[in-house]
Amino acid sequence: MRALTEVGAAGGQAERGKRLTLEHVSKRFQREGQSAHAAVNDVTLTVEPGELLTLLGPSGCGKTTTLRMIAGFEQPDAGRISIGGDDVTTLMVYRRSIGFVFQNYALFPHLTIFENVAYGLRVRRLPEPTIRARVGQVLDLVGLPGYERRFPNQLSGGEQQRVAVARAVVVEPQLLLFDEPLSNLDAKLRVQMRAELSRLQRQLAITTVYVTHDQEEAMAISDRIAVMHQGALAQVGTAEELYSAPRSAFVAQFIGRVNLVESRVLARSGGRTAIGLWDASLSVPGGDAYAVGQRLSLLLRPESLTLVPESAKATESEVVVPGIVRSRTFLGEKVEYAVEVGGALLQIVAYDPTRRGVVDVGARVGVACDATAVRVLGAES
Amino acid sequence: MKRDPVVAPAVLLVWAAVALFVLYPLGRLLVVIFWNGGPSLDAVRGLVGDWTHRAALVNSLLLAALVGVAGTALGLAFALLAVRSNLPRWVGRALDAIVLLPLISPPFTAAIALIFALGPRGLVSYHVFGLTKVNIYGLWGTLLSETLTYFPIAYLTLKAVLANVDPNLEDSAFSLGARRWRVFRMITLRLATPGVANAFLLVSAASLADFATPLILGGTKFPVLPTQAFLQITGLYDMRGGAALCFLLLVPALAIFAGQRWFTERRGGSFVTVTGKVGAATRVKTLSPAAVAALVLVCGVVVALVLVCYLLIFAASIVRGLGADNSLSLAHYAHVFSGGLKAVRDTLVIAVICMPVGGLFAVVLGFLVSRTEFPGRRTLEFAAMINYALPGTIVGIAYLVAFNDAPLALTGTAFILVVCYVFRYSLAGTRATSAVLAQIDPSIEEASASLGARRDLTFRRVVLPLVRPALLAGMTVLFIRAMTAISATIFLVSLDWSLVTVRILEGITNLELGQASAFSVVVILLVYLAVAVASLTMRRLNAGSVGQAGALLGG
Repeated sequence: MRALTEVGAAGGQAERGKRLTLEHVSKRFQREGQSAHAAVNDVTLTVEPGELLTLLGPSGCGKTTTLRMIAGFEQPDAGRISIGGDDVTTLMVYRRSIGFVFQNYALFPHLTIFENVAYGLRVRRLPEPTIRARVGQVLDLVGLPGYERRFPNQLSGGEQQRVAVARAVVVEPQLLLFDEPLSNLDAKLRVQMRAELSRLQRQLAITTVYVTHDQEEAMAISDRIAVMHQGALAQVGTAEELYSAPRSAFVAQFIGRVNLVESRVLARSGGRTAIGLWDASLSVPGGDAYAVGQRLSLLLRPESLTLVPESAKATESEVVVPGIVRSRTFLGEKVEYAVEVGGALLQIVAYDPTRRGVVDVGARVGVACDATAVRVLGAES
Repeated sequence: MKRDPVVAPAVLLVWAAVALFVLYPLGRLLVVIFWNGGPSLDAVRGLVGDWTHRAALVNSLLLAALVGVAGTALGLAFALLAVRSNLPRWVGRALDAIVLLPLISPPFTAAIALIFALGPRGLVSYHVFGLTKVNIYGLWGTLLSETLTYFPIAYLTLKAVLANVDPNLEDSAFSLGARRWRVFRMITLRLATPGVANAFLLVSAASLADFATPLILGGTKFPVLPTQAFLQITGLYDMRGGAALCFLLLVPALAIFAGQRWFTERRGGSFVTVTGKVGAATRVKTLSPAAVAALVLVCGVVVALVLVCYLLIFAASIVRGLGADNSLSLAHYAHVFSGGLKAVRDTLVIAVICMPVGGLFAVVLGFLVSRTEFPGRRTLEFAAMINYALPGTIVGIAYLVAFNDAPLALTGTAFILVVCYVFRYSLAGTRATSAVLAQIDPSIEEASASLGARRDLTFRRVVLPLVRPALLAGMTVLFIRAMTAISATIFLVSLDWSLVTVRILEGITNLELGQASAFSVVVILLVYLAVAVASLTMRRLNAGSVGQAGALLGG
């Protein structure tokens, strides 16, 4: 990347690493014959300079609309968007300094790879030698040297993806925007490409907003993740924060898999709280936040639960409850079980099954849950 | 992209052009009909009292219906033969090449040829069969000539529709135990029904608007509206009467146009395919060998008839007087390239000017209506289509009314001829542009914008290169139409600017059929040359299906 920056210096030092802020941004869409529907509702968000933030959510949650408003393809109905402190809310897209990578790459089919990448530089009327140098460097950067004279339809999906990225970064944008860039690639390539994108983004240190519906992809590449639900921000945080301390059932279920179990505060004493889990009582740290008798939702991640023999005794810090294995899916490195406990099905994951054995469907088992594995929904971690 | 600084001026410019050259003349026409010192129905009422005018209305509608039925039936036969009969590929190609002939010929070709073949001393009727009582003039002659001229429209429409009926659907009906006839009736024909209706309306509209054929073959016993309107104005100098006849023509023409729009826009209506995945390649089995044989027979006769017509035209152009003095002579061509040269040159100049002007207009309009949002977009799309949808006679008379005197005295100039063609024949290019754009994801344009390009730059650098095939197709259609049109422009020509088609008409009315034939041959060759050049270029552009200018002539 150093080379790219040096060349950039010749044509005016590139400005990168700008802070992006969204303040109370809303957007409604009028569907034919229907009342206006809020695609994005009062989103306030800051992306720090050089940070990669992912907008994560199911389809229709407003993540792409948010991204398109940041790009300037859509205009918000309310709120303010600024890049590096400059209000760009109503600025036309071609006046913003952005690089946008589209889901379908949107390469110009009638132009060679060189001309595709050079497009933004030509629009900026840079001198021809500069254009040649920068296109060459950026193609090196994405691992496609020598592809200059080919046409997009002669490239594989992964190669087209790289060209799309090269085209977006070569203009040294203040902001890099990705709209589900990997969803058209096959699973293996997707994993490889997301590592490359992550490396590239860190190298270039361009403030980046990345849209995806794939939580694993989001966790793999993001500095922070903003989970969106029905047009609003559900929670913003690092992958670890979202996983360990989700603020809502939606976030908990969207980031990884989870068992949500209803519970009640039984007693409080000496900074610890006794909560009911199934028919037993479990002592968890912290107590100031809850009142005795209060209802709670407990979050039990499948990998935190363990299958034990039916007759196993619970230790001090854990609860063991009897259950029946209703289904099991063998996936190689792990086995996923559905175990019926008290009329509800619990998801449980057991790793390394070849060494630790597999339990048969119909078997009577104990499910052990350690106090350290229990999270109360909405509690700070 | 609301505050785009480029789209708004472009929209205003297109609106201004459409208002001036489509809406204004039509408005002036309506004023002439319904305003006589005050609102008045006198002009229309006058028509009803006149036998000729009443007959013209009835004849026009009858002829349009008959030509519609006959043309659609023939078109269906050809289409079935082309895409449902498992014939070798070259058969389909040959059919396309022959069927293209009537579409690109000057308007009187079939009529002259039929006079040669079946006229009072016709080569076929008299010299071959010795018949003396054959009367080619009147309803039957006009019907035969128009059917031969316009069935290709139905063929092109139905070929596309039938080609889109997935043979796997027929296979699944077979697998459920249906027999051939039943599958054909219940599946193939059912799926093609909207296409058949559409083809019928297109052919009927063409017949309703046809001015050239009835002028030659209709005679006094079979008046139709376009010819009556023409004679009323050029013969009797009765502008109001001619305009009122236009109104009678306007009503059924608009009804057909509305019906045709309804069939094509009803999305579910053309239930053809778009199931995403293409089914397994399968051999079409719907037509029995006997049915194919019958189709070959019918289409063979028609192809033979078309070829005979064109051979006769060619023969007539290279002998002194076909049927009377069959000695070879280049005298007719000598005339074309001396006294007739000005008309050929004028026509070419106008056609060549039309191409870039109309092509660009078509692409810009197609881009605006399919890729941008602005108030009144649908209205503009419709308004821009009016001159195309209306019979040329109406457009010609409306232009005559609007542009014959100050403030816009434009008739007789090359400018008004170009304008007339641009607004009448750009639609093919507009449609092709929309078709190409429909295949291009809007994110391509957004990518350009995200890289810093304004709308005008994006249009120049990205859209225009991508719609090159549509532009070329649109320009080819404009060229062909400008070379062969007569119904509207006959009202607009002058001594300064004349047209080949007008010279052909003069040749016929002066009974100089040899000269008329020579002019026709020259036009056909020029147009074929243009089509050949366009096809070659298309192939280099990898244009695919959009690239067939012939197909665009149909709709």
